[in-house]
Amino acid sequence: MKGLFKKLVGFTALSSLLVLSACGGTGEQAGSDSEGGNGEVVKADVGVVSFITGSGAAYGEAITGGLKLAQEEINAKGEVEINLIFEDSAGKQDQALTAAQKLINSDNVTAIIGPTLSTEMNVVGPEADLSGVPIIGTSTTAEGIPQIGDYVFRNSIPEALAIPASMEKAVEKYDAKKVALMYGNDDVFTKSGFDTMKKTAEEMGLEILTIETFQKGQSDYNAQLTKIKNYNPDLILASALYNEGAVIMDQARKMGIDVPFVGGNGFNSPEVIKIAGDSSNGLIVATPWYGEKDDPKVQEFVKKFEDEHGKTPDQFAAQAYDALYILANALKNAGEADRDKVRAALAETKDFEGILGNFSFDEEGDVLMDPTVLVIEDGAFKVFE
Amino acid sequence: MFAELINPYYLQVASFMLINIILGISVYITLSTGQLSLANAGFMGIGAYTSALLTIHFDLPIILGIICGALLAAICGILIGIPTLRLQGVYLAIVTLGFGEVIRVVFVNWESLTNGSVGISGIPHIGREMLKSFQGFGFNPSAIGLQNNQFIFLSIFLLLLAITVFIIWFFRRQHFSRVGRAFAAIKLDEKAAESMGINITYYKVLAFAQGALVAGFAGAMYAHILAYISPADFAYHRAVEILIFVVFGGSEVIWGPVFGAFFLTLMPEVLRFISEYRYMIYGLIIIIMMAVRPQGLIDINLLNWFKNKRETRRQKHGAGNQKDM
Repeated sequence: MKGLFKKLVGFTALSSLLVLSACGGTGEQAGSDSEGGNGEVVKADVGVVSFITGSGAAYGEAITGGLKLAQEEINAKGEVEINLIFEDSAGKQDQALTAAQKLINSDNVTAIIGPTLSTEMNVVGPEADLSGVPIIGTSTTAEGIPQIGDYVFRNSIPEALAIPASMEKAVEKYDAKKVALMYGNDDVFTKSGFDTMKKTAEEMGLEILTIETFQKGQSDYNAQLTKIKNYNPDLILASALYNEGAVIMDQARKMGIDVPFVGGNGFNSPEVIKIAGDSSNGLIVATPWYGEKDDPKVQEFVKKFEDEHGKTPDQFAAQAYDALYILANALKNAGEADRDKVRAALAETKDFEGILGNFSFDEEGDVLMDPTVLVIEDGAFKVFE
Repeated sequence: MFAELINPYYLQVASFMLINIILGISVYITLSTGQLSLANAGFMGIGAYTSALLTIHFDLPIILGIICGALLAAICGILIGIPTLRLQGVYLAIVTLGFGEVIRVVFVNWESLTNGSVGISGIPHIGREMLKSFQGFGFNPSAIGLQNNQFIFLSIFLLLLAITVFIIWFFRRQHFSRVGRAFAAIKLDEKAAESMGINITYYKVLAFAQGALVAGFAGAMYAHILAYISPADFAYHRAVEILIFVVFGGSEVIWGPVFGAFFLTLMPEVLRFISEYRYMIYGLIIIIMMAVRPQGLIDINLLNWFKNKRETRRQKHGAGNQKDM
């Protein structure tokens, strides 16, 4: 017995030692240099937690692409020198948390950008807040994210802002009174989008005819659509991700439902046009990012991104790009790479002119800006008037 | 000196490692009767949701919440264990996998209680609560030269370490007891075991319930360490991940899942420096392992080899405790 216990203790001691030594490799270097102050270059380490591997790697690719582009430009200007440290979260909460812990405690970063998903932010946000590290979400749109704490910010337009904007415009134009709702009930993103749609519809006094649900990866929506068709709504509010959403639109048009669709942020992707073709006409979405905008800054970004990655930037790339600029601006104003000073400077961000438009943080660290409402017409996104 | 060594990042990884070890053991227990259960992610979810909801809505102390979560998971284990006894191998695996999915779908659809796919946030954090109660007793982490967050993660780690050591000790004892012998007999040949007078029903359900209890416990700890859970955490990916710990490490002895969980949790963290490629390497390691050692890395032969080597060394040098074990 005694021997067994000894062995157990020995094993656990050995394993914890191994953990400590094995992780120690990359930890020690760097540490944020905080010179600067009187007109010198502000140097800062910024951590990035992103969905780089796994099912959502496309998000991670867009985000890191946008960030790297912004980093090059910012460093070239010479006022702020940002060193980005990328960590992968694989879309999992526990991985996101360990990645953030590494950045906060081993790399001593001044601020963190990311993580990609709202579920990850729900875990990482409180930890960063307690450790006093400013953290900016660039793609976290669910409700309640900036409310986690003083150190938590985001520059992605929440669903609570985007959906009402598109709904109001659509209802106004089509004089809609009766709506049907559809949403994917097993996804955080579509579920919280639906909650906003329902709330907004009730506030606007619209009559909700029916609420239909579907699941991720479903391929046949005829049952739900037949029911919706019988109710004859003026508008269909669909909180879906683009892969399911495009199929829904395709099947609806084939069934003879020709009313416009209003979608959430996840529905907003050029992929919809690719998948659904002509059936996608009439989809209305609100977006923070419109790449066709007649703004030299926007066009320059699109061109640079295309040269490097061979495809047009999506909203995730654009939001990440702007986030790093907002952070660089805060670093410049703070004068040094101090976590608390940077947080204070971030909170004061006002009327920042980025590629997304005019941007400010409200007192909670949430977004204050007007989204652009787009509609698909003749197989292309156009501004919805 | 001591304080500088304590980095919350390492402690966080170590804590997840310990939780994964506990989960690995939960699969090992059912496997030791020859039953392949993939329901452990579901049991984990039951433990996590029960404890989270109880502590949030009824202000139950975390310890009670965790115990309730583990017990409810065990009860579900008994309930699912009884009807699935007749099934074996792949069929049992499919049924238990289905059970796990049903649990997840319940979490998704029971919105009034579980908040649907959005998940539950604001779960009491076990480390922060411990810090609070310690401060209530007038103890301050700075007294031993620690910062608050260092203390939080150190206390979580030590707590989990103590529990893991206890669980390993318990199931190792059990392995060499009458119960363990019965498990092994059932695993080798059910019919023969029955004809020798072993109550198969009892022992199989016992193994199932024990596995569920341990998995439920791990789930509850997981909820109180992350402070946020959503149904997606307990999908079949998790079930497969847990199973890989056991298959990789070896399912014959308890050190198999312990090593498997230890190694496979550590790997992605150690490989962080190659970012995009780390999961490729992770997958490659698993493939190579399975091709070279299909029985898992640690099996009885390996342990015996170690033992023999030590024996011979002992005989040479004449040291050590002879009545070991």
